[in-house]
Amino acid sequence: MTASPIPDPDTTSRRPGAGRELWRRLSGRAARVFAGLHHTWRRSLQVRVVTITLVVSSLLVGGFAYLIAGKITSILLDNAKTDVRLRLTSGAEYAAKQFSLYSQPQEAQLQETIDGTVNYLAGGDPQQTSGVVVALTADGVGGMILPRSSPAVDFRPLISPELRAAVAGGNVANQIQTGRLTGERDTKYLVYGSPVPTRFGQVELYYFVPLTLQDSTASQARATVLATGLALVLLLGLLAALVTRLVVTPVRVAARTAQRLSAGLLDQRMAVNGEDDLALLAASFNQMATNLQRQILRLEEMSRLQRRFTSDVSHELRTPLTTVRMAADLIFAERDGFEPSVARSAELLQAELDRFEELLTDLLEISRFDAGFAVLDAEPTDLVPVVHRVVDRLSGLAERVGVEIELDVPAAPVIAEIDPRRVERVLRNLVGNAVEHGEGRPVRITLGMDDTAVAVTVRDHGVGLKPGEEKLVFNRFWRADPSRARQTGGTGLGLSISLEDARLHGGWLEAWGAPGQGAQFRLTLPARAGDRLITSPLRLVPADATVSFGATSTESMLAIGPGPDGALTVGPANPVPEQRAEVAS
Amino acid sequence: MRRRLLSGALGVTLVLAGAVGCGIPDRSEVQTEQRGPAAEASWSLGRGSEPPAREASGSDAEAFVRNFLAAAAGEPDRAYDRVKQYIAVAERGGLQVKQGSEVALSVVRLTDDPVIEPDVDSMKVTISVQQVGLLRANGMLVPPLATETTYEFRLINAGPAGQDDAGFYVSGPPNVLLLSDEALRLYYQAESIYFWNSERTRLVPDQRYLSSAVPAERRVSEVVRWLTAGPSDWLRVGVSGLPDRTEMINNATGSDGRWEVNLDMPGADDVRLEQFATQLAWSLLELDGILEIKILNQSRKLVDLGEQRASNQLYQLDDSSARRFCVYEGAIHALAVANESIGRVPVAAEANHDVLSAGLRRAGSDVLAALVVSDGAGQRLRVGRGRDVVESFMTGPAHTVIGRPVWLRTDSDQPAGLVVADGELYRFDDRGAMRPVQLGLPGRVDAVAASLDGHRIALIVGGALHVAAISWEGGVPTIGPARRLATSLNRLTAVDWWAESRMLVAGAAGRPAIYDVSVDGALETRLRDDAGAEVTHLAAHPATPTSPLAATFMYEANGVTYRNNPFERIVREQVQEVTAPPTGVRPGNPTAPVFLY
Repeated sequence: MTASPIPDPDTTSRRPGAGRELWRRLSGRAARVFAGLHHTWRRSLQVRVVTITLVVSSLLVGGFAYLIAGKITSILLDNAKTDVRLRLTSGAEYAAKQFSLYSQPQEAQLQETIDGTVNYLAGGDPQQTSGVVVALTADGVGGMILPRSSPAVDFRPLISPELRAAVAGGNVANQIQTGRLTGERDTKYLVYGSPVPTRFGQVELYYFVPLTLQDSTASQARATVLATGLALVLLLGLLAALVTRLVVTPVRVAARTAQRLSAGLLDQRMAVNGEDDLALLAASFNQMATNLQRQILRLEEMSRLQRRFTSDVSHELRTPLTTVRMAADLIFAERDGFEPSVARSAELLQAELDRFEELLTDLLEISRFDAGFAVLDAEPTDLVPVVHRVVDRLSGLAERVGVEIELDVPAAPVIAEIDPRRVERVLRNLVGNAVEHGEGRPVRITLGMDDTAVAVTVRDHGVGLKPGEEKLVFNRFWRADPSRARQTGGTGLGLSISLEDARLHGGWLEAWGAPGQGAQFRLTLPARAGDRLITSPLRLVPADATVSFGATSTESMLAIGPGPDGALTVGPANPVPEQRAEVAS
Repeated sequence: MRRRLLSGALGVTLVLAGAVGCGIPDRSEVQTEQRGPAAEASWSLGRGSEPPAREASGSDAEAFVRNFLAAAAGEPDRAYDRVKQYIAVAERGGLQVKQGSEVALSVVRLTDDPVIEPDVDSMKVTISVQQVGLLRANGMLVPPLATETTYEFRLINAGPAGQDDAGFYVSGPPNVLLLSDEALRLYYQAESIYFWNSERTRLVPDQRYLSSAVPAERRVSEVVRWLTAGPSDWLRVGVSGLPDRTEMINNATGSDGRWEVNLDMPGADDVRLEQFATQLAWSLLELDGILEIKILNQSRKLVDLGEQRASNQLYQLDDSSARRFCVYEGAIHALAVANESIGRVPVAAEANHDVLSAGLRRAGSDVLAALVVSDGAGQRLRVGRGRDVVESFMTGPAHTVIGRPVWLRTDSDQPAGLVVADGELYRFDDRGAMRPVQLGLPGRVDAVAASLDGHRIALIVGGALHVAAISWEGGVPTIGPARRLATSLNRLTAVDWWAESRMLVAGAAGRPAIYDVSVDGALETRLRDDAGAEVTHLAAHPATPTSPLAATFMYEANGVTYRNNPFERIVREQVQEVTAPPTGVRPGNPTAPVFLY
């Protein structure tokens, strides 16, 4: 912090901002680091195992180190205490013997004897002591005896009042104290005191034994334990890393192989090394892959055969059909000359042959799609004439069943890169279906576009679709009501082919329906061929549809948006992914 | 990786925290373990007497002076304190106090009663003294330094005026600590301690004074301290002390027949220790029991004091073998005294004539005889050696007067003796050769006597008593520096040792008298106040520390021989193997008495 006496307004005003900035950066960095760590933690089994091993082993080793170091220290201390106690006991005995010669504290030579005794107990030569200080005090003898120590030092501060009281009370007592007696530095001393009974009163004998050696031994032991523990922890971590690596690497290889396998590279296999569990895994994996590959190939072959069969059958049927057709046309042309019943049969034959031909055409188309031979022949096309053309062609049928076809087409051309033949087929199919199932009510065709996509919706007000039928309608040969199966025309392949056409364009073909409310189909195509669709310019669920939560799929979301005349409309969300029958991607 | 580092750091921290948490604490609680040793039943071997306090004498001025002269007796550290109690309060600071080993008491012998003269408000005291010696703190009585013969001080009344029984104070005291010989006798015990001679063959006694105030428990300590301090100065030529730098570590401790001495004795081998043990056993004559000698805390030797004394006798003496002889009509004859055994004359009959005096000694189974005979040319010394009876003698040169010869009791094969001839001291050997001995003292040598240990002699030089030590160099005795002793006798004529540290001295205290004098001259006992005439011969059979018999002596005064126990004259009838003189002839008297031992 700046210690400037005059506060600088600039810095003060700027500092909190700078601080916040710094804090923000730091916290951001920390959050990033944490996120990275979290990511690593989630991603890597090895990191998790190693971390857990390190933490647990640290705790264990730490606990053991604590116990061992504590034990060593207490053993050292106990030994020191035992030694000093022995010395003190014999010292007190010796002193008692020496002082037994005196019966009065003021007696001659007593002080001399005290000096001699402490010198003797301290080892005789004060120059050669090992730092041990021996002291005698006689506080209870009326101050006639001076306290003495060998070597002569000021030992009083090291005798705490509690210890003094304990010893004066006739007890052998000890205490660890830190102070300075002989050396330059503060030293830990084991202070041991014992009363010495004499005939002139009680004298107290104290030993001050430096614990330097014990201290250094204890710290050495601690350091050793610490180093060993650390090495052990690191070793365990290394071991865990190694073992995990041994296990994880094959698993990763297996995962990669499985990924490749699932990506279609069916001949990918794992290397099998040795005979252990991982080798077993690899072998099993390889076996599974082999079995899968065999099964998939078999299924592919079967599918291919089936498609081929369909195609072949269609082709093979066409030739006799052509002959039959020519004969039937002849008979049909001559039907006026037949009996009415025969003429009726000829008409029926002609109609069924038409349907048969249609069916064969559809089957061939489908088989082309299945075989992957369908090719998009895209060109920029105005959709408006296409729609008009479809309506025109179906107007006859519409008039026959009494359905009015309404068109909502923009005035401007709606240009998109499409295959007009296929789009027209799709629209013809959709409008035809709508007219057929319209039950006499009007069918509305809406064309819409935006920057990226064009869409056509076909709305009818027939019986509608039951929940779940939105997807089923695109199935081959699916019928909503099997009872009226063959009454109306259609091969049952129309919507399937339409869906394949939409998919070929990279577009969507979706259905919406509700019982009693009719149905709406929507074709959405990208404006430029090959673009990816994101949204559709038109809604799938018509605006006039009654919102019925029970009726719509429970998973569908509600969409709240602007309705006509500025009112809010609430309806199923658009697009509803579940109701999007197929998404070409 | 970071995670690993982090957990590693965490582990290290944990371990570190754990390890650091359990070192030796800087300070701990007081841990009380057990009751310490309790005081044992107080035991003491008792304390000796101490000099009386100042008030003890009441208003008796003479007793006060006597007590004052005893005040310093006791332990030396507090001698000044005790004396100060006697001195007037205002003058106590005037006494120059010395410390430790500097403390010394001037031992004086009152030559007369104190003269106490009443004055205006005090009494003037004059004491006439003879300086006897200086009693040092270590119990040694060394020759006096002071030469004063009188001391004067005043007595002032301690109480308020008119009250007499409050006692006195000394005013104007002498600036020394005075101790009368009487107080020395009362409040000190003379102790013999022993040192080995230079050859380490014999123990030589030395005398120390132990204050009666010293409790018996400290006796051993005191004796060992004396031993480590070495012998008295005058003895140093003949004896050897303990090895240099030998010191006692603290006090000797013990009780109930078991003692312990801890020494720092350089070069202490088994021989030295054995010798030290013997030295100690004899120096602690009153003690029995076990004494443990430790050298630097290592127990080295257990000594049974009684056994050690029994197996290391001080002197090769057989009390029952002592025999009395005398010279009767120029020949040596045995004496029959009371019911003592009568000895056989150790001189062959053919040599036993013209004898004036004799010195006899037993050396193992041999007898050594030194005779002073007179012939026409004067007096000669005849020396011989023989088994039981000496038959052949060697004759020395002629002198005018030869005193009584004295054999030195050594263990060597070459016997030697001392004799005074014509006022000079000579040494002689077993061939009768006499060689003068230089004493370095002015005056005429009158008498010589040798102690039992053969390392100390007493001399009368110029009428004063001296003692000296003998060192043996190649079998030849050399006399060390003589120490003059102060006795109350004068005109000394004869001397002989009659105990380890006591001598018989004949002289005059007004009248001829025989005194028992200690080896330092401090202690005197009057044995014979009136010997009737000047004592010319004095012969004693010494008492050893262990002998049950009292010492005996005989002396000759005015041609008549006397003995002690009881004092009586030895008459002619007691002389053996003499024929009664013819009637009418006055029979001679036995003279020059001598003991053979």
